[in-house]
Amino acid sequence: MKKIIGIFIVIGLLVNGCGKGTSSPGITEDTILIGNIQDLSGPMKELGALLPSGSNLYFDYVNENGGVHGRQIKMIVEDHSYNPQKAVAAAKKLIEKDQVFCLYHVIGTSPCEALRPILAESGVPLIAPATQSGSMSDMSRQAADLIFHTDTGYDKQTRILVDNILSKNANAKIGIIYQDDDYGENVLKGTAIAEEKAGISVQREAYQRGATDFAGQVANLMKGGVTDVIIAGIVKEPIIVMKTAVAMGYAPNFYGTSPTMDHRISLAAGSAGEGFTSVNFASLWNSDAPSALLYNELCEKAGIPAKMKGMYHFYGFITAQVLVEGLERTGKFPTRTRLVNALETFKNWDGGAFPPITYNQNDHAGTESVILVQVTDGVQNVISDWIE
Amino acid sequence: MKRRYEDVSLTWIPVLIVAIFLLPFMLKGMTFSYKYYLFVLNMAGIYIILTVGLDLLSGYTGLISLGHSAFLAIGAYTSAILVDQVGIPFILSLFISPLIVGLFGLLIGFPALRITGMYLGLTTMGFGFIVKRLIIAFRVWTQGAGGLEVSHPVILGFSFNSDWDNYYLIFTCAIIAVIAGRRIGKSKIGRALMAIRDSEQAAEATGVHLAKYKMLVFFISGLFAGVAGVLFAHTSHFISTDHFDILLSIYFIIMVLVGGASSIYGAVLGTLFIVLLDFLFVPQLKEVIQGMFNIESGDIQSLLFGLIMFLFIIFHPTGLYGMWLKMKIYWKLFPFNPKKRLI
Amino acid sequence: MTELLTGLLQETVSGIALGCIYALIALGFTLIIKATEVVNFAQGELMMVGAYVNFFFVTTFLSNQGEPTIGIYLLAFGSSIIFAVAFGWILDWVINRPLKDEPIFSVIMATISLSIILRALVGMIAGPLSLVPYSPFGNKILSVGGIVISVLDLSIIFSAIILVILFYYFFNQTKWGVAMQATSEDSVAAQLMGIPVKRVYGLVWIFSAIVATISGILLAPRMSLLDTSMGFLGLKAFPAAVLGGFGSITGAIAGGIIMGVIETISMGTLSFHFEWIKEMNDIIVWIVLIAVLMVKPDGLFGEAKVKKV
Repeated sequence: MKKIIGIFIVIGLLVNGCGKGTSSPGITEDTILIGNIQDLSGPMKELGALLPSGSNLYFDYVNENGGVHGRQIKMIVEDHSYNPQKAVAAAKKLIEKDQVFCLYHVIGTSPCEALRPILAESGVPLIAPATQSGSMSDMSRQAADLIFHTDTGYDKQTRILVDNILSKNANAKIGIIYQDDDYGENVLKGTAIAEEKAGISVQREAYQRGATDFAGQVANLMKGGVTDVIIAGIVKEPIIVMKTAVAMGYAPNFYGTSPTMDHRISLAAGSAGEGFTSVNFASLWNSDAPSALLYNELCEKAGIPAKMKGMYHFYGFITAQVLVEGLERTGKFPTRTRLVNALETFKNWDGGAFPPITYNQNDHAGTESVILVQVTDGVQNVISDWIE
Repeated sequence: MKRRYEDVSLTWIPVLIVAIFLLPFMLKGMTFSYKYYLFVLNMAGIYIILTVGLDLLSGYTGLISLGHSAFLAIGAYTSAILVDQVGIPFILSLFISPLIVGLFGLLIGFPALRITGMYLGLTTMGFGFIVKRLIIAFRVWTQGAGGLEVSHPVILGFSFNSDWDNYYLIFTCAIIAVIAGRRIGKSKIGRALMAIRDSEQAAEATGVHLAKYKMLVFFISGLFAGVAGVLFAHTSHFISTDHFDILLSIYFIIMVLVGGASSIYGAVLGTLFIVLLDFLFVPQLKEVIQGMFNIESGDIQSLLFGLIMFLFIIFHPTGLYGMWLKMKIYWKLFPFNPKKRLI
Repeated sequence: MTELLTGLLQETVSGIALGCIYALIALGFTLIIKATEVVNFAQGELMMVGAYVNFFFVTTFLSNQGEPTIGIYLLAFGSSIIFAVAFGWILDWVINRPLKDEPIFSVIMATISLSIILRALVGMIAGPLSLVPYSPFGNKILSVGGIVISVLDLSIIFSAIILVILFYYFFNQTKWGVAMQATSEDSVAAQLMGIPVKRVYGLVWIFSAIVATISGILLAPRMSLLDTSMGFLGLKAFPAAVLGGFGSITGAIAGGIIMGVIETISMGTLSFHFEWIKEMNDIIVWIVLIAVLMVKPDGLFGEAKVKKV
């Protein structure tokens, strides 16, 4: 036994001795390794397939054109099945075992929040977390200096929606259906601010993640005489809510936060989804924004099936653009600190899809504005300029 | 078919303890990513403390709990609030919080006096949902669904702030928990609990006070889960209701059953088996398979996990501990082995 | 006052529709429990497989683009049922027979791992993207005196009623049904009486798979988008099966409907008038369940099994 242990220790020491002497983990002569943690097997596994595919589309394009300062970008995707504990384990694996340079586009609010202690401990930056929770850019939190948010927060989105509704109809009675978790919490934060500002009261209706029936909530909104309903759901909920409303003969104006931007909502809801307005933190994937044009061109070249194309796939694509721009600015000899510093030089940077992004030491929110997108005849149309 | 076997000889225990304490050094010597392995082991250690308690409840007494992640949650949130908001030292919280969880155990033990079997399983599952909702409702202390940041454990001025430090803290507690669980299982209490499992009427007839023992085992199980919860909160530094999912409760019961119900070592083995399978073995296997077949699906990891579990149950329905006993008997009887399965 | 009453009536109707969904899933649980005492944790996944298989058949028969006709729906439905029979039979061979003499726990664990496998396998075969399910009923609604109900919900209610009547008749009037009852009471004695217990078990799994497939087909359009997380609905139907009493067919449907009505009313009228219920609306179901079990530990319609020493 002693011998075996001894051999193990010797082997261990040898392995240790041969450790890499390079400057920063995840950087070699010709590659940059980045880590991505997605939900591949949980409730949001659809996004787990779409987002990395969109990101890889852009990374492949960059790699074909010589990479970033001669280095190819390689992304490792891990699974957290929407469980924060698993997200932490995956992050530890990426940082300690795979030695990634930075984390990128981790999905979900609570998984991202759970990563804060690890980020702080290891100094690994997290670029473009795939959640629109405003808490991500709250600079008073732990590891906030390492997290760079790209999207406008849910709280701001809700505020903008309420403002927009009131500007169209000053007497509107507003109701909100929210998911009773951290997502909803952030939405309610925005609602409370908007209520105070406009001096109105918004009718709140909660549902639980994974709910499939909204009869009670819709009936309540009807009873409350609500004329404008904000649905803070993901993809399925707005469809069911709007269908239920039609079934009950109730026809308010429906609005949605950014996770409801998917074009399949109009597809699945059919006639019930007409007029649905959602906020969007970036230009549409089929618009003529520069990124969208490049995106469609690359999709065609790579043979991406039509059913994958859409806002979520595009979201993976445009955040990859932000990351690559950050890496470009980091220079020829990247370290994690240099990456953070480079990102903080972003000043009204226009990537072609996001509104101009600005980062500095006291602000990692990136953007503050959104556009409104409305469904008419089953097609999404942009109906506003960038609203702040 | 529930037979009792002799204990593994006690001389092994000190050797095992020394091995456990040397393991981090070996890992550090062997691989530069030892921190990740330590993290996985830490998780296993915390779960071991919980599953030992769960084994006493579900394995020994046969009272199914599908709500043990709720006990873990109560322990975690109680300690986080006590230490960070009330200002109690961590070491005190390590004793107080489990007691509070134990009281919650009594609360759920009360319906268990009448409800049995899968009905009890569902009752505890409901308890899990209720606790989750209550945690969100008390947002003054828990910060609602947004989650709560928790401080590092500090004992006598020493701050445990790395996986390395946490390992020693967690495994000290785990060793104590396993020994304690073992003692309880071997004591009069343990025998009474097993009597209740095998037949409530018979147990009552021989003088086992049903209500007393059922409440007691819920309290004890709560204590173990409470300790696990305290360690969970302070070593992961961030807790939210998403951490304590219903699926986690189901995983806990799987850990106990894979190990082989009503044996503390079985619970330990089962927990190690499931955690290592989930976090180390299956990801490795996935990489090998993806290298061979070029499959891109994200589902392959859970498919492998499910398949391995499934095959294991089909071929070893008595669990790991049963396997171990079978092996032991095989060697004892060697070379005169009967062809028939003994266990 | 009348407003309150119509509101309550509407919510009751919607609740019954939701409850029938739970009842259909609970029926699947009940059948297996009735004969084998195994709680099938993969029931929701069986349903999900049924929904996917039906979707697959509809798209296959619908080789040209266009709206599917009634004929195609019926053809797909029939094919899915045939698939369900085969699937149930396979499950019996894979899970039930190898573990026949093992503790019930092992079988339950096997069903848990089966649920993991099915979710992953369907996800791998069908791809990660959710599908837009077909529905023969579209968004059509019926309105009677201000109370509205969608045709889809109506079809769910009808199928639940028909299935319950069929199974009730089967268990009480047919030879095989009585054989199943006998097996559930004492499988050893049943075997001694000449009942082919293994075949009875196989039949139960097949029935359960058929019920799951039917409910999957009906439910898919109601879920708006079809993905593998549909299987988790099985967990939501648990309290319904328990409330009625495990192993009772009347219990399954009664428990389902009670749960559905309570859920809808507590999310509707109750939380409209009492703000604090909004925070609690999903656990009211569980509180009711625990309260009922405290009074009747074997559910509303379950029979208390006396264990002999």
